[in-house]
Amino acid sequence: MSDDSMKEAVWAPEIADLRRRQELAREMGGADKVAIQHSKGKLTVRERIDSLLDDGSFRELGSIAGTGEYDASGHLTGFSPSNLLCGRGRIDGRPVVVSGDDFTVRGGAADASIHEKQIQAEQMANELRLPIVRLIDGTGGGGSVKTLETSGYTYIPANPGWNWVTDNLRTVPVVCLGLGPVAGLGAARLVSGHYTLLLRDKGFMFAAGPSVVSAMGTPVTKEELGGADVHARCGSVDDLADDEEDAFAKTRRFLSYLPSSVDALAERVPTDDPVDRADPWLNSAVPRDRRQPYKMRRILDAVLDRDSFFEIGRAWGKSVITGLARLDGWPVAIVASDPMIYGGGWTADAGDKLTRFVELAETFHLPVVHFVDIPGVLIGVQAEKAGTLRHAARAIAGVYQATVPWCNIIVRKAFGVAGASMTNHTRFRYRYAWPSGDWGSLPIEGGIEAAYKKDLDAAEDPVAMRQDIEDRLNAVRSPFRSAEKFAVEEIIAPSETRALLCEFANLAAPLRRVGRSSFGFRP
Amino acid sequence: LTIYRQVWNCSGGLEATMSNVSVRSDIAGLVSRIEVAAGAEVATGDTLLVIESMKMEIPVEAPRAGRVEIIHVGEGAQVEEDQLLVTLVAS
Repeated sequence: MSDDSMKEAVWAPEIADLRRRQELAREMGGADKVAIQHSKGKLTVRERIDSLLDDGSFRELGSIAGTGEYDASGHLTGFSPSNLLCGRGRIDGRPVVVSGDDFTVRGGAADASIHEKQIQAEQMANELRLPIVRLIDGTGGGGSVKTLETSGYTYIPANPGWNWVTDNLRTVPVVCLGLGPVAGLGAARLVSGHYTLLLRDKGFMFAAGPSVVSAMGTPVTKEELGGADVHARCGSVDDLADDEEDAFAKTRRFLSYLPSSVDALAERVPTDDPVDRADPWLNSAVPRDRRQPYKMRRILDAVLDRDSFFEIGRAWGKSVITGLARLDGWPVAIVASDPMIYGGGWTADAGDKLTRFVELAETFHLPVVHFVDIPGVLIGVQAEKAGTLRHAARAIAGVYQATVPWCNIIVRKAFGVAGASMTNHTRFRYRYAWPSGDWGSLPIEGGIEAAYKKDLDAAEDPVAMRQDIEDRLNAVRSPFRSAEKFAVEEIIAPSETRALLCEFANLAAPLRRVGRSSFGFRP
Repeated sequence: LTIYRQVWNCSGGLEATMSNVSVRSDIAGLVSRIEVAAGAEVATGDTLLVIESMKMEIPVEAPRAGRVEIIHVGEGAQVEEDQLLVTLVAS
């Protein structure tokens, strides 16, 4: 619109006023606060949104919401914007909702926010069936106890918009980025997502910060209390980002594997990776010596679409590897044992991680491929005290409740209750085993002493007898004996794996069903 | 300026302060073999020691190239998750 037409327009003064208010809001907490944000090596919330979204795609809601100051005649003299921005935009061309804390206004504290904006952002994502990305950089819901003096009363706390926050976990992809110090309500918003990460060195998260904790008697630094590595290693967040650009790149990548909501299916992308690419190295990937582990991630890279594996949660529950990937272009959920960590045995954390990942796959209709090398649930005093059995049982319940297409590749071991839970065995067993397959209720190693105790105790030469028993049992341990009885459906050369998995992905694609899962997703 | 950073890889936790690299255990288990001596030069991925766990012999690998400064555990030692195993000086 030209300046001339503006001068003539009936509502020109109001439109000018609107633009002025929007200009004021874009100044955020003011030049000095913005300079402080930059001096910490942090982007402002508006720079973050611009960096995350496709160029120029941000459509803000509540752009002039905040606190105005007026003179005696009612003219606006100053303005402090609310410290949560929200709106719609696009990522790789797909619409998303974004909300972001403005740390330059009251440190992102909720006492400078307008709760309804946060609530509307969550509800918009839910009702428009759009992914939501939360850019979190700020303290808790209450701000500080000083608010008691300004409000003149206290209240029973309620978490704003939590019905939507909770419902979104079973409705739309939720990505949460911790880009600064995050405490209290902000921390709860951060961990309540499908993919959550903290920024290395700059992201911190706590129920209460170091000043509160130190005042209770134990001096602690913010790094010790809530550094990014603390939370990545215990699984409070899924991942770490090296810098903000890395955080946004990971966000875009995560969303690329998912549909926009449970009412849609994840889309295939074109690939030039041949479905019958057979890496001959795979036929030597697993050592013959059963005591020697190997690098499972190298196997994944060799069979999945080239460079398509996006690992989630690498720093915790490490005996189970989880991530998203593609097979012949179709998005799939990958579960794999890591024999370098407890031989692939399930720890309590690994059970927790698997539970949550299966819920993610089920929620967004992603077929699962599980690369199995499971010696069992972790044994020992520490493991028992960690509640490993219940965490494992929880994961098993998830596996048995899942209805998404499911495929197993038995790479090596499948023992005990955990090995038995590679799939819901009552479904069609879409399953292949490698010649390195080794399975049973109990492993021979360590099982002989228990099963043949009487004989060994009575033997003149228990060592020789033990060896003799082991040789006899090993003779029937070949996976081909199992295949003779159809106790394993099919044994394959490892180099055939990719072709079979691509076939699985193509067969599974039309079986995916939209809608809400019968069991939800919890943080 | 102290650079402090934590990285994870398959073979153990890694933390670096300047050129010192602390190799920590990813798992609890028994140190069954130590494969390097103090002063040895190692390449990324070389096995430093082996931990026995769940009937497996799990190697702890050098997260980067360098010289073995201190080996903090002996053969036969029971180690816990996150225990310091080896200090390297990165080359």
